[in-house]
Amino acid sequence: MNQTHPSRRRFLETMAGGFGSLFLSDLLAREGAASLPTPRPEWNGGLHHRAKARRVVQLFMSGAASHVDTFDYKPKLLALDGKPFDPGEKVELFQSDPGACMASPWKFRPAGECGKYVSDLVPHLREHVDQIAFVHSMVSKSNVHGPATFLQGTGFVLPGFPSMGSWVSYALGRITDDLPTFVVLPDSRGFAPNGPANWGAGFLPAMHQGTMIRPNARTPIADLFPPAANPEIGNRGNEDATLALLAARNREHAATRPGDSRLDARIESYELAARLQLSAPQVLDLEDETPATRALYGLDEPATADFGRSCLVARRLLERGVRFVQLWSGADNGFPRRNWDSHEDLARDHATMALGMDRPAAALLTDLTARGLLDDTIVMWVTEFGRMPCSQGGKGRDHDPFGFTVWLAGGGIRGGVSYGATDEFGYKAVDQPTNNYDVHATVLHLLGIDHEKLTFRNNGIDRRLTDVHGHVLNELLA
Amino acid sequence: MFASSDFEREVAPILEAKCMACHDAEHRKGGLSLAMRADALRGGRSGDAAIVAKDANASALILAIERDGDDEPSMPKGKPPLPAKDVEVLRRWIDDGALWPEGRVLVDRSAQFEFEKRRDWWSLKPIAKPSPPGAAANPIDAFVAKALAENGLEPSPLADRRKLIRRVTYDLTGLPPTPEEIDAFLANAAPDAYERLVDRLLASPRSGERFARAWLDLVHYGETHGYDKDKPRENAWPYRDYVIASFHADKPYARFVAEQIAGDALYPGDPDALVATGFIAAGPWDFVGHVELREGTTDKAITRSLDRDDMVMNAMSTFASATVHCARCHDHKFDAITQQDYYSLQAVFAGVERADRAFDADPRIGERRRQLLAERAALERRSDEASAHLGYHSEIFASADTSQEIVLDLGSSLPIERILLVPAHEVYGGWPGPGFGFPVRFDVAFAESRDFANARIVVDHTHADLPNPGDRPFVIEGDGRPARYVRVRATRLWQRTGDYALALGELVVDSGGVDRARTATVTATTSIEAAPRWALANLTDGTTFSGTLSDAPGSVKRWLAAIDEHERIDRELAALPAPRKVFAAAPHFDPVGAFTPPPGPRPIHVLARGDVNQPREEAQPGALRAVRELPSQFVSDASQVSSDESSRRAALAAWLTDSRNPLVWRSIVNRVWQWHFGRGLVDTASDFGHLGALPSHPELLDFLATWFLEHDGSLKQLHRLIVTSETYRRASFASEAARSQDAENRLLSHAPRLRLDAEQIRDALLAISGRLDLRMGGPSDRQFGFKDDHSPVYDYEAFDVDSALGQRRSIYRFLVRSVPDPLMECLDCPDASLLTPKRNVTITALQALAMLNDPFVLAQCRHLADRVLRESGGDLDRALRRAFLLALGREPDSEELAAFAAHARQYGLPAACRVLVNLDEFVFID
Repeated sequence: MNQTHPSRRRFLETMAGGFGSLFLSDLLAREGAASLPTPRPEWNGGLHHRAKARRVVQLFMSGAASHVDTFDYKPKLLALDGKPFDPGEKVELFQSDPGACMASPWKFRPAGECGKYVSDLVPHLREHVDQIAFVHSMVSKSNVHGPATFLQGTGFVLPGFPSMGSWVSYALGRITDDLPTFVVLPDSRGFAPNGPANWGAGFLPAMHQGTMIRPNARTPIADLFPPAANPEIGNRGNEDATLALLAARNREHAATRPGDSRLDARIESYELAARLQLSAPQVLDLEDETPATRALYGLDEPATADFGRSCLVARRLLERGVRFVQLWSGADNGFPRRNWDSHEDLARDHATMALGMDRPAAALLTDLTARGLLDDTIVMWVTEFGRMPCSQGGKGRDHDPFGFTVWLAGGGIRGGVSYGATDEFGYKAVDQPTNNYDVHATVLHLLGIDHEKLTFRNNGIDRRLTDVHGHVLNELLA
Repeated sequence: MFASSDFEREVAPILEAKCMACHDAEHRKGGLSLAMRADALRGGRSGDAAIVAKDANASALILAIERDGDDEPSMPKGKPPLPAKDVEVLRRWIDDGALWPEGRVLVDRSAQFEFEKRRDWWSLKPIAKPSPPGAAANPIDAFVAKALAENGLEPSPLADRRKLIRRVTYDLTGLPPTPEEIDAFLANAAPDAYERLVDRLLASPRSGERFARAWLDLVHYGETHGYDKDKPRENAWPYRDYVIASFHADKPYARFVAEQIAGDALYPGDPDALVATGFIAAGPWDFVGHVELREGTTDKAITRSLDRDDMVMNAMSTFASATVHCARCHDHKFDAITQQDYYSLQAVFAGVERADRAFDADPRIGERRRQLLAERAALERRSDEASAHLGYHSEIFASADTSQEIVLDLGSSLPIERILLVPAHEVYGGWPGPGFGFPVRFDVAFAESRDFANARIVVDHTHADLPNPGDRPFVIEGDGRPARYVRVRATRLWQRTGDYALALGELVVDSGGVDRARTATVTATTSIEAAPRWALANLTDGTTFSGTLSDAPGSVKRWLAAIDEHERIDRELAALPAPRKVFAAAPHFDPVGAFTPPPGPRPIHVLARGDVNQPREEAQPGALRAVRELPSQFVSDASQVSSDESSRRAALAAWLTDSRNPLVWRSIVNRVWQWHFGRGLVDTASDFGHLGALPSHPELLDFLATWFLEHDGSLKQLHRLIVTSETYRRASFASEAARSQDAENRLLSHAPRLRLDAEQIRDALLAISGRLDLRMGGPSDRQFGFKDDHSPVYDYEAFDVDSALGQRRSIYRFLVRSVPDPLMECLDCPDASLLTPKRNVTITALQALAMLNDPFVLAQCRHLADRVLRESGGDLDRALRRAFLLALGREPDSEELAAFAAHARQYGLPAACRVLVNLDEFVFID
């Protein structure tokens, strides 16, 4: 079939950089956007310099995971438990007035060669401290979930900006033609604040938006197959004939309209769709995973099965060439709590969230390491802000945008590092205050991208993931 | 020889523009100041004199700015070198003796010079009135032909009629032509058949819907707030209907613009004009930041500042194609837009928030409602004298359940028709006013003896809380028997803030039409006795805070009349149809949580680096200084700034719609051009600044702007002018020469082949399947399952695509910001949080999957199959022919027919229809 249609062959020949790049360059020409080089093989896939990593998996703890109960050890809080909280300045909180200091309900223990203290809330992740670079001095511009989630995910507090995964897709394009470049696995209980806008492409072309996969849902990928409710068309037997007839007619149509590459591209898009129909179910079929792997991710335990499945699917996506995977731990802000927003009862609600997240996330690190994938995959563990060292209503913690922790591991990251610090309470970043721009700049740097050169003109401004900020955190680099 | 005037004219401008930013008296970079002659002669830290009079070659200034062989000059640092002629001026001046007028101090004017340089830009120049270069039936063609000829390109021939009707019908209505419409057009031999077709299409309400959708993209209209807690906006849709109706009625553009900025102020009583301000509220809104964040916090200030930023950005991008929002943190990096300009525009919107506003769709009812409300206000008019005799006030108690009694001794036993308890009204000290101190529970008793031994309880409200009566007198009917003593006993007191009290404005005892309380002896359990305002004697003095009732000594008629009047007004108000609501710019609204109406325009300060914690001088309402033809400051000095916020918006509306505004008129004609050709004459339709594109046909752009102004801003006439041009009617086939010399078709040698947008695809599917429901307007169709929650849940999978809510045109879809419709999003329907002057057009595998498998698409395939089979009496070939005509506007050729018939026979007609709507030809319009 291919031999008889030179236009299509020529088309494929022009696609050395993958399907996405053709439209990128076309679009760049039309939009007058700053031109972007294509990833260079001799730079290990880098755009502006040699890349250390090719893939990213971003674990987003939605609702704000507490730093002082996980990775930011504050012995002083134990001593001050129940005593007035007085950091020496007026404290402006989201919901409440500051209560007394509240020690973490979980004990911290040292781990690894680096001796990092991590709490009993995340015992499995604790085993990986020598692979992890912690940033303890994170600061957020917003104290509100929606804007702060956008800030960590898109670099802006406003809606309408491309997510980090979209930027990476725009910059580097596909590794595989069989799967989308940017995949999102939401929490099975629902969407985090802002919903799918969190993985939108904003002003970037729609091809760069995150493709949502819900491994536990009836239809894990929307419209991958006809719905069962359409018996006339749902018959899978006609797919090949449908695509063949369509391709034949479309090619004839295109042949009489020379010079319009969009027509060829559309023909190609149906072939890509067919490939996706074959490869996506394979990714989601976990039958070929060993019992040991399933146990590692906690698939057999109800508490860990959901996020465990997401983590395992993430690994399968990454190893098949998906560039950017975003996983959400935490749904909306409803009650009973189904995210990390533990205003009312930290011991109860953080325990549930961490129980579900800790083992699968640690398993992902273990598994990626064992398969050699961690060498060129960056794992990001992020959240929109932290939680206050003082109590809210005796048992909860209010938002803390003044100091919190995120961490990175994998390709190009130096393990066992703790960068920056909060004060003795864990209230405020005092050493090396850092923000999302720096973390994003660092990840882009490892991907071979200069964050100041990755731009797209929108509404009169050359927009960047890092706005007009951002410094690469060299201390985190291997 | 140089004279003083030469120094001012030639030398000072160079030094002030190029040198003083670093070398003024304040900064003295390198120790050098050039502010005064003595400084310049002394030089900087290097020790060399910057200026050596009569010896330019020895002057460090000249050495620094002059090219030395291949080396770039060292100054100005980091900036382009001075032009040779400037260096020459300075040389001559120094060699002549460096004359410097006594006492003249140079200052940094680099920003002003830079501003002037930036202002010298095509879009800021007055609109020219070019004549068409040559004769052509349609002036557009003359401009286009000239550019083609200059580039040696031939235009393509005109498109055939079949292609033309498909193109123009989709273009002007967003829908495909029906087979009958195609036949009629093909058969119409009249020379003006095409013009008549255009007129018919432009007259159709479908056309209003089509262009309204483009407008809603532009202004980022959505029906939820966005962000976290993405709440639905129940009342956004009237603005959508306003846009459709305005386009359909061909409202003059100036009026359309003015209404959206300040319709409520400019056209009071006109419901459409108020609804128009839905424009200001169209964008996203941070619910948590506004409603939940506490007043006085930094985050609250940020929330408000960003909200105003969105209003400014929307107004100036949409109407003026200016990227003013780039000047929030600093002066615009490229355009002549200062930070001062930006915050002046924020000040324009400083008195409004986004909230529901009530209005009457029928202006007559609106007028009646205003009248009644005015009457009621007059009835309740209060003296604001702090010394008024308000009434009686008990002592203050810690508990609500404290008994307080007031006893009247009428002096003798009298028949009592009724008792009136007139509530007190207190605003002094921040109290809300109506119903102040009125008891929550009480009873009233009559008795013949002072000890109330055989008391008759005439009313008993001691078992349940009473709603506060506000300003209305509370009426208690007597029991028809005489009594000497009257007792009012409160058993649960009114809550002040943390404590409780009883207060009453007046107590009236109606005996035969005479108020006997006036002469009664009054006692009370407690009284604060704070004369003149509060005293026990005030309870029966015939006066309250109200001026209305105070002049009727002894008579109860006025009291009763007031009650009747209140009741009448309430009755009439209740009989009016309930007012409608629109989510719009609102100076007043019902508070929700921490979201409260501004007391007036909030002060807006220029914010250093855009940081709310670094306020600089206060900004006064205004617009862009760069537009010299118009006043950029709306008031001449700060003392004139009106506390009436709407006058600020009215001033901006006047600024925008002035015929001398060079941006607005170019902006709109360019947008209309883009709506027809897929790209504007200026490709960056919302950015006419230095980073934007240049016009491909600048003279045509100005011609259209002038023409449009001369035609009263009629969009329909502009559409008609454009689509009847030969340029528009050309075939979409690109010649070899056009492809090689003008691959982007900037010169318009042929028509663009446009892909249908998401709404056109969805509407076309409904139209050809026969399911399209053309009912217009009203609340939007919610094509999702909805669960209201802390954060609402929108579930598109839960929607039945065949339900009644799924059949209207796509412009009537309910637009959720956080969770967009997956099918529409996939087809490049933009994020409703983004201003979208032009949609992306992408081609992706996920689009292919959606067109193949989406339940909505497949449902229409099934309906299309049913329809064509029904209309063809069950004959498959005829059914397929009909399906081709509906979907592609043409008959299939025999090979196509055979292939589709074979497919239909094997897999069913719906499966063949599925292939049909997936064809490139279905979505790309020649």
